[in-house]
Amino acid sequence: MTAASALPQFPWLTLLVLLPLGGALLCLLHHRRAEECRWLALATTAATLGITIYLFVCYGQGDSGWLLYEDAAWIPRYGIRFTLGLDGISLLLVFLTAFLQMIAVLMSWSEKQHVPLFFSLLLVLEATLMGIFLALDLMLFFLFWEVMLLPMFFLISIWGHEHRHYAAIKFFLYTLAGSMVMLVALIVLYLIHGEQTGTYTFALAELMQTELSSQQEMLLFLGFLLAFAIKIPLVPFHTWLPDAHTEAPVAGTIDLTGLLLKTGIYGLIRFAFPLFPEATRSFLPVLGIVALTGIFHASWAAYRQVDIKRLFAYSSISHVGLVVLGLAAWHLTAWEGSILLMLAHGVSTGALFVLIALIRQRTGTRNLAELGGLWSQAPQMAFLFLFFSLASLGLPGLANFAGEILVLLGTFQTHPAWAAIAIIGVVFTAAYMLRLVQGVVWGPVKGRPTLPDLTPREWLILLPMAVLVLWLGLYPEPFLRPLHGAVVNIMAGGLP
Amino acid sequence: MSLPDLLALLPILILVFGGTVILMAGAWRREPLPLIAGGIVTALLGAVAAGLLQPPVVEIAGLFSAGAYARFFTIFWSLLAAAGLMAAIRYIIENSIGAGEYVSLVLYAAAGMALLSSATHLLALFLALETFTLAFYILIACNRRCALAAEAGIKYLLMSAVSTGFLAFGIALIYASSGTLSLPEAVIKLSAAAGELHAWGLLGWGMVLIAVGFKISLVPFHLWTPDVYQGTPAPVGGLLATGSKGAVVAVLVGMLAISGPVWHGLTDLIWLLAALTMLVGAFSALGQKNLKRLLAYSSVTHMGTLLVGLLCQASAGLAATTFYLVIYVITSLGAFVIIASLADERGEPMEFDQWRGLGYLHPVRCGVLALLLLSLAGLPATAGFMAKFVIFEAALQSGYLGLVLIGILSSVISFAFYLRMTMLLFEPDESACRWHAGIAPEHAVIAICTSAVLLFGLFPGILFDLIGRILP
Repeated sequence: MTAASALPQFPWLTLLVLLPLGGALLCLLHHRRAEECRWLALATTAATLGITIYLFVCYGQGDSGWLLYEDAAWIPRYGIRFTLGLDGISLLLVFLTAFLQMIAVLMSWSEKQHVPLFFSLLLVLEATLMGIFLALDLMLFFLFWEVMLLPMFFLISIWGHEHRHYAAIKFFLYTLAGSMVMLVALIVLYLIHGEQTGTYTFALAELMQTELSSQQEMLLFLGFLLAFAIKIPLVPFHTWLPDAHTEAPVAGTIDLTGLLLKTGIYGLIRFAFPLFPEATRSFLPVLGIVALTGIFHASWAAYRQVDIKRLFAYSSISHVGLVVLGLAAWHLTAWEGSILLMLAHGVSTGALFVLIALIRQRTGTRNLAELGGLWSQAPQMAFLFLFFSLASLGLPGLANFAGEILVLLGTFQTHPAWAAIAIIGVVFTAAYMLRLVQGVVWGPVKGRPTLPDLTPREWLILLPMAVLVLWLGLYPEPFLRPLHGAVVNIMAGGLP
Repeated sequence: MSLPDLLALLPILILVFGGTVILMAGAWRREPLPLIAGGIVTALLGAVAAGLLQPPVVEIAGLFSAGAYARFFTIFWSLLAAAGLMAAIRYIIENSIGAGEYVSLVLYAAAGMALLSSATHLLALFLALETFTLAFYILIACNRRCALAAEAGIKYLLMSAVSTGFLAFGIALIYASSGTLSLPEAVIKLSAAAGELHAWGLLGWGMVLIAVGFKISLVPFHLWTPDVYQGTPAPVGGLLATGSKGAVVAVLVGMLAISGPVWHGLTDLIWLLAALTMLVGAFSALGQKNLKRLLAYSSVTHMGTLLVGLLCQASAGLAATTFYLVIYVITSLGAFVIIASLADERGEPMEFDQWRGLGYLHPVRCGVLALLLLSLAGLPATAGFMAKFVIFEAALQSGYLGLVLIGILSSVISFAFYLRMTMLLFEPDESACRWHAGIAPEHAVIAICTSAVLLFGLFPGILFDLIGRILP
């Protein structure tokens, strides 16, 4: 806290958004020198990560209220303001963004095609994600929310695999359709609030005071929910993800699962629930059942996949199902677990994507039928693959376990039946993960007898992730501490 | 016409007389550059005159307004003409087109558009509309070696002739029913008229609406648009897509601003036209494989959205429409000028195959084109989004939820085709070949359009305030 008093007004949050943007711009300006762009991107992401760690250390222990808050006028005529705020929940997600984005940059080090454009898109993506996790003005949030699609779209459509065009357009239109409905709901809410109070504003704190009839509230809530449900994705709206996921280059996949999916959940927590508390309360049972269905549907689908990247797409859908279940249970422990699980899932699945990309680089395939015997081919890689897979299936002591157990404990207290069913879902997860591990790590060696094992750069990528996975699993307390106050406040229907 | 009237008319007189002088000068001196430079200077002079001279009268001979709103559009169309001429330099020289004729026609067209935007009288409206339409017939087809251009010119001529017929008949009916040709008064008297007179008046307005529909290509009167755009050289296309449509919308906004709620019996019809235009435009654009045709259908969609703004009778709706119009003009112009700046002896890059992978050979211009297309689609942080936002906001305020949902659907579809195009630009392709590097004036126009799109996207307040001040 000493640093905070020394620099009381320093706009850290704005910097978090602007720094990656600046890096992106520099990359584009240096488009003739690919090598410099790599280092530039790395430096930018490292600096961003440094800032988030600094914020974590200095402000992460505050219990409630906004840890940081910045506000400036922007478009006065329509009451749109540039408002950023950091609470415990955003703090974790901002940290996750900075962390995974740095991994993504390192992972793309050997990218050959159009390097400057690639890294600038990655950085723009980082900036918009930061914006989403920090914005407190709904229009500002919407702006970041929409712009985020664009770098992802290009990452898929230029550097993706075989069916990249189809996947990119599908991804964009699917999510766009949802957000456009949200836009209408947003404007309607803005107009209703304006008519009631005379002040037209998009500020979250103000709009929460709007008095809505229960029918209005439900309709608007559904408008918001549609956008978030598509992004999360909840089960009937999930079909874009496996395609986008499979076709995206590795950095894109890491961002897509690690971060983009989290924006949907964050949207629910930050905007949809607090803005429409009544509608939320009556809709929670539906949400819980949808989430449960998702867990099972996705697990089943994952079990049937032969492409391991596609398998993980479904596995992610099932994991976010569990996260949403925790939210729908509306219990403090479950919420904390959900948010922790978001973090854990981001790291452990991110690491698995890194490994899948490395395996594909070496063997040229992601097909489960053509893989096998990694343990004798490349033992270090196989060990890490096993490690992160176990983390992902929720082995006690590793990252996901801490989150999952909190979700289940919390859910059990409000909806024992849900928790009981969800536990079966966790068993399903174990089933497909073990099938995967069995197919990839053990079994007869297919292809070449030995493969080049991990290089120092690859260790550099995976080691911090492994450390984080252990840390989250063994001692999640430092990550839970900043969460508590924020979660309590949001569940009580307020802002931090 | 008295001296104050003439003084108030001075900006337009500058355009017209400057155009005539250049036309005559062209008969003696054939070097194109001085003539074009003269044209650009004239257009800028017109803009400066409109901006600086305080008009001594509010209305010129009961025909044209000289208010701030009219002045704004006089400046805007003059600047558009200047930009259009800057983009046409290479086109004129490389196709050895008579510079004198070309420049003077562009200036006449600008004068016509400026007059139309300030018309307060049905006859003035008719005359101004014909003035610039006439200029466009020739501009479109002025490259006689190009068969497509000739076809486009003829098509535009035929369609415009039909619409002129509707317009004239409509005006006659309006006069018969209301006894006045003054625009706001005719509107007001329509609501006062009873019985049969009211019906004739409505029919008259309906016919005017059809004429307008032809001009700004509302569905189902839009069929000429893609063919004409395709055949029109990009420097002319840039003016045709923006000014010729924008001026028509501008006069409607000006009229509604004075007369107040007007559509009465026509509301449902306009609702239908707007919905159809937004949807058909967007769906038709999906199948296009030619950038200019794509832009044509995109402009159809945009006109539908503008119509939504016109339907909202509150002043917020008119301000939103004006905002949208200005943004649309700037963005579209930028896109056309980029096409023009890439043109070389092979012609203009139009087909999608010609665009594939160009993003890596011409990174700046293709990057900007992508930005402009996304602004047309309405991506947040670009001006196009703010424009759509204000229209939708106004429409929701006026209770047109259904229309907004249709607009949203059309936006989503629009994204599909704009994105396909941008994806194409940045698709790695070995066989892509370079086009012209462009010249400084073209780059300048592109830079101005781009800056405006970004500036108004991030800080739209500037433009809102301006529009709020000028709307009558």
